[in-house]
Amino acid sequence: MEPALLVKNISKIYGQGENRVVAVDSVTLALARRELLLIMGPSGSGKTSLLSMMGCILRPTSGEIYIEGRRVSDLSEADLPDVRRHFLGFVFQAFNLFPALTAAENIELVLRLKRVDKAQSRVIARDLLARVGLAKRAHLYPADLSGGEKQRTALARALAGDPPIVLADEPTANLDSKTGKDIIGLLKALAEESGKAVAVVSHDPKVEALAHRIALLEDGKLMA
Amino acid sequence: MLWLALKMLFHEKIRLAITLIGITVSAVLVLVQVAIYLGSMRNATALILHTDADIWVTSRNIQTFDFALPFSEEVIDRVRALPEVERAGKILLAYGNLKLPDGGLEQVQMIGYNPNTGLGAPWAMRVGNAADVKGGDFMILDESAEPRLGPLTIGSNWELDFANRPQSFKLVGISQGIRSFTTSPIVFMDYNALSQWMADVGWPGQTAFIVAKLRPGSNASRVAAALRRELPDNDVFTRDGFIAKSVKYWTIETGLGMAFFLTALLATVIGGSIVGQTIYASTIEHLREFGTLKAIGARNGEIYQVIFSQAVIGAVAGYGLATVVVLSAEGTVERAGVPFHLSAAVFVALFVVLLLACLGSAYFSVGKIRTLDPVSVFKG
Repeated sequence: MEPALLVKNISKIYGQGENRVVAVDSVTLALARRELLLIMGPSGSGKTSLLSMMGCILRPTSGEIYIEGRRVSDLSEADLPDVRRHFLGFVFQAFNLFPALTAAENIELVLRLKRVDKAQSRVIARDLLARVGLAKRAHLYPADLSGGEKQRTALARALAGDPPIVLADEPTANLDSKTGKDIIGLLKALAEESGKAVAVVSHDPKVEALAHRIALLEDGKLMA
Repeated sequence: MLWLALKMLFHEKIRLAITLIGITVSAVLVLVQVAIYLGSMRNATALILHTDADIWVTSRNIQTFDFALPFSEEVIDRVRALPEVERAGKILLAYGNLKLPDGGLEQVQMIGYNPNTGLGAPWAMRVGNAADVKGGDFMILDESAEPRLGPLTIGSNWELDFANRPQSFKLVGISQGIRSFTTSPIVFMDYNALSQWMADVGWPGQTAFIVAKLRPGSNASRVAAALRRELPDNDVFTRDGFIAKSVKYWTIETGLGMAFFLTALLATVIGGSIVGQTIYASTIEHLREFGTLKAIGARNGEIYQVIFSQAVIGAVAGYGLATVVVLSAEGTVERAGVPFHLSAAVFVALFVVLLLACLGSAYFSVGKIRTLDPVSVFKG
């Protein structure tokens, strides 16, 4: 079966000459639907660069990226936003919710970007919040939500528009142990029950325990 | 994206209030400056505008309506001799002193007109009729002079002094909204009465303006050119030419227009800067959010829409408030004797100027977004 996301021999090199840093070095990695892939590695090993390239927000220095079988690494800057909109959902370490928008509106924002009409966006946003256990918190602003609730909202936002791939960067880093476990549980459920391809960058042993597969990066190289 | 722009703006209410106050103050300043300038220019050219004449003949090298010098009345025959001239008339302008009830003196602008033809007559009357000055020492004063002259009562007698030759005039009418640029109250009187008075002080047979109404289909510019050849000791203007000459004098040659223009320009720059500074600061503060927007698939253009929408909302709301303030104060300002004039077209034009200033300022924030790396959102 064709992987949802495939990176083929990709590298990312920053700087030139003496300042040249190889952040990601010839990594080939496939992410299948119904899979929770954990990307691990020490600080500076290139995890975030790899995730950014998988998410089409950082252009690789060399190599190829395929999403749902379509080569996207050659697309122009003008075309990449469409790829991110329709195929990818992001969960960030610092949640990155809009403080001026309620939990529901944060989700509606993504749907509006995807040209879903206002009324339908509202319904979908409520459904997604219910799915992450926040049905009664939809009207609250991020400032009024706990860390766990913020991350659940961010997760619901990543699912808005039903992208096949979800990428999460240290999603449990700012959460307590129990809440972190809940979030990872939700991510795993997404993979197994909703058929999403989920990649998580994390140091968290809880994620390690729940991941289907682990990719270990060291000095930009894939070790396992 | 207007939705997001509104949400972001109204989420920070104090910042929004400060921005709106800044834009409003700036817009009020611009509107007031322009209104006073236009009001002054309207006063400076009101009599030309309201006189039914296509051609104005004046003394040589006249700068503006208010500074007319006398010349021979006989010139009117040469004006009438042109086949295109349907009718011609004379208007006198002189400055005298009106004796106030308390013994003080007030300089006034005296306009002598023909009450039969109405050329040069007051065009808006509160009490009485412009023809009432006919055949005697009668005068019409404008109601705007009341704060300086005291209450105006029909039938009251006023002593006017011209070249140290005082004469009594009876008030027979009160005009409305007719002011001179120099702010001297205007006294309208019968042309013959003023002409005789001038003759008595040694200026017989003199006039200040000869105005002509042309036959339908005549070309005013061509007639003016013909008259210029015919009258080398006079200046000849079309109606629009004389208005332009007067406006140019007050605006450019006195430096008054430049003062108004610079203040209005400064206010526009301040308004634009306030919006620009606010939006720029807001953009910097919300870079992470804009980066997130980029990461989740928003195009740069969509983020620009948020920023420009905020500038437009600021301009519309600030200008709207300023309009309310200016329109509310208009009556009070005019009653205080300050010339004040704004039309719908001027309101629209000034809004466009302020809007462009706000959009121009917001453009600086766009550069930040263009170079914003969405990878930054992955950093905790």
